[in-house]
Amino acid sequence: MNALFDPVFRALAHPDRRKILDYVKENPGASINDVSSEFSSSRIAVMKHIRRLEEASLIVSEKEGRVRRLYFNVIPIQMIYDRWTDEYSALWAKQITKFKYKLEAGSRSRARKKRA
Amino acid sequence: MSKTKKAVFKVLIEAPIEDVWRELTRTDALLPFFFNSRMETPGLEVGAPMRMQSASGKYTGVIGEILEYTPPTRYSHTFRFTNLDDSPCRVTYELKEVAGGVEFKLIADGIPAGTKTEKYMTQGGDYIVKTLKAVVEERSLPFQSRFIILMCKLTERFTPAKCRSELWPLGNVSSTASKDHVVLDEE
Repeated sequence: MNALFDPVFRALAHPDRRKILDYVKENPGASINDVSSEFSSSRIAVMKHIRRLEEASLIVSEKEGRVRRLYFNVIPIQMIYDRWTDEYSALWAKQITKFKYKLEAGSRSRARKKRA
Repeated sequence: MSKTKKAVFKVLIEAPIEDVWRELTRTDALLPFFFNSRMETPGLEVGAPMRMQSASGKYTGVIGEILEYTPPTRYSHTFRFTNLDDSPCRVTYELKEVAGGVEFKLIADGIPAGTKTEKYMTQGGDYIVKTLKAVVEERSLPFQSRFIILMCKLTERFTPAKCRSELWPLGNVSSTASKDHVVLDEE
């Protein structure tokens, strides 16, 4: 099991890789060029990060024509979730995070109004 | 051309490739990984129609036509929800033997963007891949899968009338879900 999880946690441990994952999730089918144009790091660095994410199966690449297209694969995240939640904790955890996001969104919009 | 989307789900299943293939393509039992539906087809071969029926057989949720059938590595069919008027998309299952098991991929493409089909496909893919893994590896179902199957059973009588199986006879599937109608964004 750890052999499966180690690469996932290693991949997620870097802030740039988390940002790349966010970008690919929002832009399914993005090419490596698309990703590297979004980030200030060098193309080589971005490619290295993508390789790490692929090793962890967080990103799956599909060759389409001559372009390698990247897709976010939710399964490793789901398996982390499955490992540490059960039916009871899942229900309550979901309610609590929903509560947190709602309150935070409210306080953010109030802060924006105040600034304006 | 209308915009289409693609989604990919990948998982390592620690089981022999034959077991994964058998479970994926079985027509003689309810498929827990496919929301406890039964796959109906006159024959698992290219060009054959297929439909996914509810446990009771009363309703048909998905219709399609088999596009590729290469045991035990690749199976692809068109995919259309009978309760929606969206154009069909394509679902492809890829199995690859790797150290420790099978790399299982579900690829859904030609998904009409901004539709309910898109929503169902992105939510359903995760469930299908995860549940199939559990069924083949453990021969048991995770709680979430059992819960979803129970919900399907409880809500079956609220299924829209347009999904009634008699409205989706197998013979008509190819004319309604021809592969020609799956729109794919070309490179």
